Amino acid sequence: MPKLILQIDNRVLNTCVVDQRASIGRRADNTVVVDNSAVSGHHATVFRDGEHFVIEDFASKDGTFVNDKRVSRHTLRDGDAVRLGKGKHTIVFDEQGGAGEVADAAPPEIAAAPGETVYLGADKHKALLDWIRSAQAPAGVAVLRVIEGRADHTEYPLHAYTSVIGKSDAALVRLKGLFKPKEAVAIARSDDGYVATVLRGTTRINKTPIRDRRVLADGDVLEVGGLTLEFKLAG
Amino acid sequence: MRLRVGARTHVGRVRLLNEDVYLLRARQGLFVVCDGIGGGPSGELASRVAGDTIMARLAPADADVPVAQVRGPYLPRTSLMAEAVRCSNKRVYDRARQDPSHALMGTTVVSAWIAGHVASIAHVGDSRAYLWYGGRLVALTCDHSLASVNANDEEEALVRALGREPEVDVELTEVPVRYGDYLVLCSDGLTRMVPETAVARVIRELRQPQCICDRLVEMANGNGGVDNITVVVVQVMGSWWQRLSTLWTAHAGGIPNAEAHPAD
Repeated sequence: MPKLILQIDNRVLNTCVVDQRASIGRRADNTVVVDNSAVSGHHATVFRDGEHFVIEDFASKDGTFVNDKRVSRHTLRDGDAVRLGKGKHTIVFDEQGGAGEVADAAPPEIAAAPGETVYLGADKHKALLDWIRSAQAPAGVAVLRVIEGRADHTEYPLHAYTSVIGKSDAALVRLKGLFKPKEAVAIARSDDGYVATVLRGTTRINKTPIRDRRVLADGDVLEVGGLTLEFKLAG
Repeated sequence: MRLRVGARTHVGRVRLLNEDVYLLRARQGLFVVCDGIGGGPSGELASRVAGDTIMARLAPADADVPVAQVRGPYLPRTSLMAEAVRCSNKRVYDRARQDPSHALMGTTVVSAWIAGHVASIAHVGDSRAYLWYGGRLVALTCDHSLASVNANDEEEALVRALGREPEVDVELTEVPVRYGDYLVLCSDGLTRMVPETAVARVIRELRQPQCICDRLVEMANGNGGVDNITVVVVQVMGSWWQRLSTLWTAHAGGIPNAEAHPAD
């Protein structure tokens, strides 16, 4: 499986296997954390697009460079060197990756015959929970958790730059029932976090009616179109 | 969601030719501003070719692409627009290759596509997009010029433009828009002449998109008008009952809305 190798002056600091998606940035909730003030909180993302992997700049302040060329979106080739802003760190894309690393993406092994009750040690339990969590919501991505009301899922990860709550087909969180707005709330994702924009109808955040825009904080509770959702930042 | 649109382009007070161009397709929510470079007729041709190509690629009939077809963190519409801009780059580049008299032509572009309460913005170069809401003017784009890459550099030189290289990186942004918001697209002939605070004030005072455009062009000319000036202003309108309820509360002295009492 492909790997991202974080280097500084040709010294390897960290390696990370990319299965579907990896985020790169200064903040601790990224898959690849680059501790440098020249790097934005959420700087760039690498994701699978069919056969290939694509790097996309998260509208970062100082830009993302692949082989010294500034890019907003770039299909990665083996050996591509990614530089973030003016920082000295380099991330090398290793398409083949080491075979030994593949195990990282698989769930922790639990030895048991099918149907048998198993006892999980605390360590294994934690490892399993971590794996489930990482599989559900990639690091760095906030989620909306449904607390009350009818919805298709119990959790909605906010991967996209814009996620809509409403009756529209394009909405991430689909509202059901008559008289619900097509687009009730749009949540925009940026470097600085998530901002909710109320578009139609009544939306409350932490019981307060919101009329325009608001920056979302971890644990905020949104009430929209008969649904109650909790906003959770990853990590 | 309804949109009200104003637009104006002006040659300025120094240049002889207007190399800027704007294209509007308000019904589809599609707006483009291009600022041609290359001197004289070349710049004019480049901005025209780029604008026309983008508009043609995003014709209403082709715009309804299935959601699943385009993947990635952006909306399908945003990715489509990026593709249209890349295509316009190729078109201008090829044209410049064919005709030696236009060899140095190029253009900037800033385009917006508003649908389903989200504005998709694509840009290359130093033409800008702004969102005005609640009295604030927020820049949605970051210039691809030497000045913005290196703060110490006074030069206005572009580091990215359409038509100068076979491939171009298009910068994309998505921003949700709501009733009462204004979207501004403009060439650097405005932003170099009129400070952002003044733009914000004009929007707050005038409200009518066409009046805003006319006043901003007037101000840019008043401050020197050294370059061509182009402004497109899009006002996001609510439904009739949203407007009525705003009027009602304003007249009754009730809850002040965000537009009337801008937050600081």
